[in-house]
Amino acid sequence: MTNPEGRGRDDEADSSAEAPAPDGFEWSNYADEDIMHQKNEINAVEAEKIPCVGDKEPLSALAAEYQSGSPILLEKIKVLDEQYAAIRRTRGDGNCFFRSFMFSYLEHILETQDKAEVDRMKANVEECRRTLQSLGYVDFTFEDFFALFLEQLESVLQGNETSISHDELLLRSRDQSISDYVVMFFRFVTSAEIRKRSEFFEPFIMGLANTTVEQFCKSSVEPMGEESDHVHIIAISDALGVAIRIVYLDRSSCDKGGVSVNHHDFIPTVSSSRSGAVEPFITLLYRPGHYDMLYPKRPS
Amino acid sequence: MQTSRARLFKEYKEVQREKGADPDIQLVCDDSNIFKWTALIKGPSETPFEGGVFQLAFAIPEQYPLQPPQVRFLTKIFHPNVHFKTGEICLDILKNAWSPAWTLQSVCRAIIALMAHPEPDSPLNCDSGNLLRSGDVRGYQSMASMYTRLAAMPKKG
Repeated sequence: MTNPEGRGRDDEADSSAEAPAPDGFEWSNYADEDIMHQKNEINAVEAEKIPCVGDKEPLSALAAEYQSGSPILLEKIKVLDEQYAAIRRTRGDGNCFFRSFMFSYLEHILETQDKAEVDRMKANVEECRRTLQSLGYVDFTFEDFFALFLEQLESVLQGNETSISHDELLLRSRDQSISDYVVMFFRFVTSAEIRKRSEFFEPFIMGLANTTVEQFCKSSVEPMGEESDHVHIIAISDALGVAIRIVYLDRSSCDKGGVSVNHHDFIPTVSSSRSGAVEPFITLLYRPGHYDMLYPKRPS
Repeated sequence: MQTSRARLFKEYKEVQREKGADPDIQLVCDDSNIFKWTALIKGPSETPFEGGVFQLAFAIPEQYPLQPPQVRFLTKIFHPNVHFKTGEICLDILKNAWSPAWTLQSVCRAIIALMAHPEPDSPLNCDSGNLLRSGDVRGYQSMASMYTRLAAMPKKG
């Protein structure tokens, strides 16, 4: 690149920027760089407070949070206590829904060793891959994320050399890079489903963000750290054919006097191959702005 | 580190394979460091940057592609969203709207699009942004094309 010979007179301060050494990037006054740095530091502080995926805790730990708080919430937690045994927290970094989904799903497979479910999932994953390709995504942009998820899925099935224990699953889910790669895999899957069925999702998205479907996917689904909403949950549930129960813990009270806790089941519409009432095996606790995992009490 | 290297290698192969497919972008990897790239992009037509060739420097973080590449203009450019001294670029996909679905090549395309469609309301170059915001399109265009001639075109003779 040729530099101009006659530069403007107010250019003298630029001499360093004008003739950069091949490797001498002037990052020193790179403002956005500083911002990113600071953001990473904040994330690191948060990361020390709570891992990507926490330990299983009794519901009393949840009640303890609200000890001096809203009586409605405490009442609701009592109601939850009748049906649910434990909670497992996730880090509040905008990826909590996908991370909760990841851990719940893989833990379910690890515990049930449901090979049919794994095969069904693999078929859906392949379908998502084809969808991304037909939408014009370049293979190398998503294939690493797909491969890493399939590897985790394979490894929770026991009896292979690569099989992993529950402890190892927890470690991997806490490993920032593995965990983030799987979250990113789900983001690709979600984006593909929304764009594939854009006429269906368009009205929801208009109501939520007042943008086009494509813009929504680019700005609110694909970037890491973007929080999930109903649209994301419907899309991932449909794309992967996995039912999800969301239990809502908020301050809303019902007029009837007694306190009850609402939940909503997201039942996949597309995969009607398994007919009949599907009882979701993934249960998440939603508190405004955050998702954690819930463990139902097992019938004794 | 390993995954970013593997991904960048795939991008490198793709760039080699697609060489010349997009005549406006010439993306080159540093001979000895796959985390350093440069690009030459052509100023879009019917803009004050037309006829200019602009050099971009890419510094790629180890967490790529979960984290965006750092990109800046090495060639001086008068544009509301490019810092006049450092070449820093204000573009959402290089910050919070980044996702691994982007590639170095598509980032270059996004930067070319930004050159053609400046966002004067989030300026890094306030002089440039103010010209556009005050409606002085002619002033903006003449300043921008002057710098294109001075900095982004080969010297005459």
